[in-house]
Amino acid sequence: MTVRNVKSVLLAAMMLAVGLLLVSNRVFAHHGANLYDMTRTVMLKGTIAKFYWGNPHNEVTVDVKDEKGNVAQWVAYTEPPLVMLERGWTRKSLNFGDEVTMYIFTARNGATVGTLNRIVLKDGKELTAYPMPGAPAPPAK
Amino acid sequence: MRNILVTAAIALAMAATAVTLSQTVRAQQGGSARPADLSGDWAPDRTRGGMGQSLSLSDPGGRKRGNEDDIPYQPWARAKTLSEKTSTGPDAHFDETTDPQVIYCEPPGVPHIYLWPIKMRFVPTPEAVYLLYEIGPFFRVIWLNAKHPEDPDPQWWGHSIGHYENGDTLVVDTVGFNDKTWLDQMGHPHTEQMHLIERYKRVSPTQLELDMTIDDPGAYTKPWNSHRNFAVSNTGFMRYQQICSVRENQKFFDDVGKPAVGTLPRK
Repeated sequence: MTVRNVKSVLLAAMMLAVGLLLVSNRVFAHHGANLYDMTRTVMLKGTIAKFYWGNPHNEVTVDVKDEKGNVAQWVAYTEPPLVMLERGWTRKSLNFGDEVTMYIFTARNGATVGTLNRIVLKDGKELTAYPMPGAPAPPAK
Repeated sequence: MRNILVTAAIALAMAATAVTLSQTVRAQQGGSARPADLSGDWAPDRTRGGMGQSLSLSDPGGRKRGNEDDIPYQPWARAKTLSEKTSTGPDAHFDETTDPQVIYCEPPGVPHIYLWPIKMRFVPTPEAVYLLYEIGPFFRVIWLNAKHPEDPDPQWWGHSIGHYENGDTLVVDTVGFNDKTWLDQMGHPHTEQMHLIERYKRVSPTQLELDMTIDDPGAYTKPWNSHRNFAVSNTGFMRYQQICSVRENQKFFDDVGKPAVGTLPRK
């Protein structure tokens, strides 16, 4: 594990918001099972560095700064645009520099990547992605 | 009086003939029943099972892959299933998947397409029902008043013929599949011998059900059944083009998949 990744994991641990729940079939509807820990989410605060809106999955890239000013870049994916449109997302939902709080299912190996659970904007607006284990999928909008 | 009786008899005979001819024509135009109204956009019904991972009715989540009690495998088909690396599900290995849809962007075929979070739409015409899907975008042609070719070329979507029943059901009969697709996300195989029967029934204004019988003597010891539930959707059709691109798939894997594979290198 690199120094940078150790810092990232420590940072994640400091900001941890963990919910251990049973794993449902629904959560397995994507690629998470062997690569990401789908039993809990990690909360991270940062700013949007990039928002890729496209197939096969949208990608949210967020710069997360620790107390010493070190920046770790995290990438979390959602379902494809066709599905996210149903949940109220658009390609303009996230913009460079937006301050956000995101909850992600992180990589088991400590890499700064994961599956997005939800993201909260500065004004309190919440955008949902993959539901928590056991929770129903958000209704279509 | 006699003339009146003769005229009446002739009229009755003509009426009976007309009814018979009408029934024959209706039968040729897609069955004995009036066309089913399947209008609307249909999405997997999240309140009644959703998409799931497997066609197995006893194991929709794919936890017992290869050992489901309702899939009558031939030995090779069970071994083939267990040899596959799925890209989703409880034992997903996205980084080394053998799912042909993911690694080659090949068509999912049917019934695999019903394991995707997409909508479908029926477009009825006098000669055929066209089934449109948001992924691909793919479409199928269900020929009415038609027969299968004697020796159909094996193809991704097979050759489909259909007819209506009871005014609420479209029955689709498909043969002529190639053997390149998985039946579902769990890697269940099939052969070119597969004969698929689908029965699309509108059970309420907002609900559609699909009963399927998979008859493939090349892979399974007897026909077996599956089922999908759909709910009408009013959110719009084809709001985004869900197209499979090997290049975009590679980008996703490079960005989010590859960093999560294995242990991180030490510096």
